[in-house]
Amino acid sequence: MRDRFLITTLSLLFILIIAGLFFNQVLLSGYYSKLSRNNSIRVIPISGTRGNIFDRTGRPLVTNRLSFDVAIIFQEIGDRRKLVNLLKRELGFSGAQIMSALEKAGNRPYEPVTIAEDIDKEKALALEESSFDVSGLIIETRSRRNYLYKHFGCHIFGYLGEVTANELETLKDYGYRMKDLIGRDGLEKYYESYLRGADGGIQVEVDSRGHQTRILGLKEPQSGQNLQLTIDMSLQLVCDKLLGDHKGAILVMDPRNGEILALASHPTFDPNTFVRSGTSQNRLKLLNDKVGRPMSNKAISGIYSPGSVFKIVTASAALEQKKITPYTRFFCSGSYNLGHTQFDCWKKGGHGPQNIVEGIMNSCNVFFYNTGRALGVDRLELYTRFFGYGKATGIDLTDEVKGIVPGKGWKRSHKKGAWYEGETLNYAIGQGYLSVTPIQVLNMISAIANNGNLVRPHLVRRVGANDLQNQKPKKIGLKDGTIREVRKGLFEAVNNESGTAKRSKPAGTIAAGKTGTAQNPQGRTHAWFCGFAPYNDPKLCLVVFLEHGGKGGLEPAEIARGLFEEARAGGYL
Amino acid sequence: MITIRRRYKDFDMVLFAMTFIILLIGLLAIHSATQSKGLVLSESYTLKQLTWLGVGILLLIITIRVSYHKFLDIAYMLYIANILLLVLVLVMGHVRLGAQRWFSIFGFAFQPSEFMKISLILALSSYVGQKKGAMDSLESLIIPTILMAIPFVLVLVQPDLGTALLLVPVFFAILLVGGAKPKYLIRMILLGLACMPVFWHFLRDYQKQRLLVFINPNADPLGAGYTIIQSKIAIGSGGLFGKGWLNGTQNQLNFIPERHTDFIFSVIGEEWGFLGALMLVLLFFLIVHRAFNIGNLTSDRYGKCIATGIAVLFGLQVIINIGMTIGLMPVVGIPLPLVSYGGSSLLTTLIAIGLLLNVGMRRSTF
Repeated sequence: MRDRFLITTLSLLFILIIAGLFFNQVLLSGYYSKLSRNNSIRVIPISGTRGNIFDRTGRPLVTNRLSFDVAIIFQEIGDRRKLVNLLKRELGFSGAQIMSALEKAGNRPYEPVTIAEDIDKEKALALEESSFDVSGLIIETRSRRNYLYKHFGCHIFGYLGEVTANELETLKDYGYRMKDLIGRDGLEKYYESYLRGADGGIQVEVDSRGHQTRILGLKEPQSGQNLQLTIDMSLQLVCDKLLGDHKGAILVMDPRNGEILALASHPTFDPNTFVRSGTSQNRLKLLNDKVGRPMSNKAISGIYSPGSVFKIVTASAALEQKKITPYTRFFCSGSYNLGHTQFDCWKKGGHGPQNIVEGIMNSCNVFFYNTGRALGVDRLELYTRFFGYGKATGIDLTDEVKGIVPGKGWKRSHKKGAWYEGETLNYAIGQGYLSVTPIQVLNMISAIANNGNLVRPHLVRRVGANDLQNQKPKKIGLKDGTIREVRKGLFEAVNNESGTAKRSKPAGTIAAGKTGTAQNPQGRTHAWFCGFAPYNDPKLCLVVFLEHGGKGGLEPAEIARGLFEEARAGGYL
Repeated sequence: MITIRRRYKDFDMVLFAMTFIILLIGLLAIHSATQSKGLVLSESYTLKQLTWLGVGILLLIITIRVSYHKFLDIAYMLYIANILLLVLVLVMGHVRLGAQRWFSIFGFAFQPSEFMKISLILALSSYVGQKKGAMDSLESLIIPTILMAIPFVLVLVQPDLGTALLLVPVFFAILLVGGAKPKYLIRMILLGLACMPVFWHFLRDYQKQRLLVFINPNADPLGAGYTIIQSKIAIGSGGLFGKGWLNGTQNQLNFIPERHTDFIFSVIGEEWGFLGALMLVLLFFLIVHRAFNIGNLTSDRYGKCIATGIAVLFGLQVIINIGMTIGLMPVVGIPLPLVSYGGSSLLTTLIAIGLLLNVGMRRSTF
């Protein structure tokens, strides 16, 4: 008996369906036939505009501009010759170009097919006027991304690209359609879901001649959310100017909260190149440049030997582990012998007796060979990780790399060999297998400036109307004494007459810092500078990195001086 | 010779014939939906569907010849294997960042959630059958509920709302004919309804959107609403007699997305008119009726559960699918059995029909 209940329920539902069909196909058939005959419902999509990007002072950096495209609806072409002439005259199309455009439009005859993108406003107006008596031609307006500063800040913003067919498969559930643009790198990618607006559209009834008669439905497009950055564009422009033709990166950050004030990586590219659809020569050139690699953000994706800037870690570790005290002195004769191998200091004649402050000030290799041996590789590895090396800093950009923090275990698994004592010596001066990104070096110097606290570097302070919360700083756990001694060394390096970083000494404020000159198998040495200011109350720290840039004490130190002075002028110090 | 004749004495020829008539209608509709005058569209949909049909008929023969008790013996194994496939689809979907319901095998999409419907019916029938008359306690409902809940959640998060919701009435139907107390079942349904607000919370945005569009198609003229309106125009303009095969303008002009899969009925409605559509609906109803009939005639409790489960599953799929093409049901992505393009759905339905025939012809054996 129980299945009677089920049969009855299903039967009733079937009757409902039949009634629905009767209602639509018999009673309303006239109404629907009319709609169908005129094939009369069209949907005109309206894209939601992408959020704008502003710098910390509210200056617009990335916005949208109105642009004009030319499209053809093949089915509605009236006088073909007239259309061809118009395209020839106004757009300078050749015969072959027109043929291929018409063929393209013929494949999808009932919808507008774009044949020319982003044409001049004057041309668009001229065409719009002519299109009254040339049917089938329409001018479409749409908003396009506009990177106001072109090359400058390109690695912060990233660029946009069309979604691929593969991506569309999974993205279509989130409202993406064919030919939609999606963030490909930088903030455009990281904050894609916030920046992207939601598409809307109107559904209209049109008569047999294609004129709109009635609006059936409207869905308002929604704009994406704006981003306010921590970047100060004037400081950013200074960085870009100072980097000039060098390959390399500059990072400037507030050590107290991790706000990045400037991030430059050279060579650069112009994100506007990627705004138009289709391929272009310029775009391919940028993507295929394997030497300069303009698309890669060296500040977060490039890994290099840190050289002597790493001595900050070695010094801190040794003081923490009580392997040396502020009074420990090692004698530098110009070289250090381990078995039969001789490890040189950079200064031929030697530095004589050195304590920790002098060791940092002179960047004395022999002092750090001794310190490194006293520490041992395991403790060195531990402190390297404490300072944030070997993992991403967590900046709000994509494609950040981790670098390599070597150690006994790493060597066994990656190089299939035992650790040599000589490698510990190289490790202590920032050479060997150790590989770091410029932003990790920034993290390290910021920890020293910020009393041993690691902050999370970030670029965005506000999304839409919401201020982003700063993450709580992470304590490395360094004693006050340790930080004090290391800072003294960094102070002397900049301010002492014979300090290695003396060229970075700015006017008007007191800075501290460390240079680095890293040997590498690819050629000329990499040049580093990292430092902070003001010495007594650090408000700003920076890293200058020049790929194959020679000595850290020369150009990077001078660039740093310029930056400190500009930052002071800008009110940051 | 005698045994064979005796075995096929109860073979439901009407059900069998009905199935093939509907299959033929489906092929004609797919052909019409994927071709277009003047424009070259892929002809391969009809061919692919024919390939699937070949495999399907093979499976149909197997499911008819092997006693359904053999399937019940391995019901739990099938169930677990199917669950593992569902998990695998989810994991692969995660790797590919987003939703995914199917595996691709030689260019053919394979959708484990479709087969889950049969695996669940078999597993539930196996449990209920074993219990004999002891289904009237509340405790005896625990295991069936778990059996249903696991695939329900896995399919829901795929996300495939329609298929997940379809499992629920099938579950209740099997328990009802299996002897569970109606008052417990009603309480479970009420509890489920009370949980709806929580459930709503877990839906993805676009799923919520689809349900809201059901209430007001103009809410989203670009997406689901557009499809519903276009589909209604297609079906409505078909009138009493239809525009004739291959003559539906609405379908040929690319107006309806997914018109060879979930919205295939709009092609039939437009080209075959009310009379054609009515005939197809009646054919479907006849199959449902025969299925209940088979469940009624068999004295085997297992067989009764299987037949009822399949009857409800089949009937509801038809009702929901046609209902959504004329705006009576939300667009939840359920194919029209035996008609919509798509291999997994076709194979599943043919296996289900095979099981029905199987139960029917062995009704006097058990």
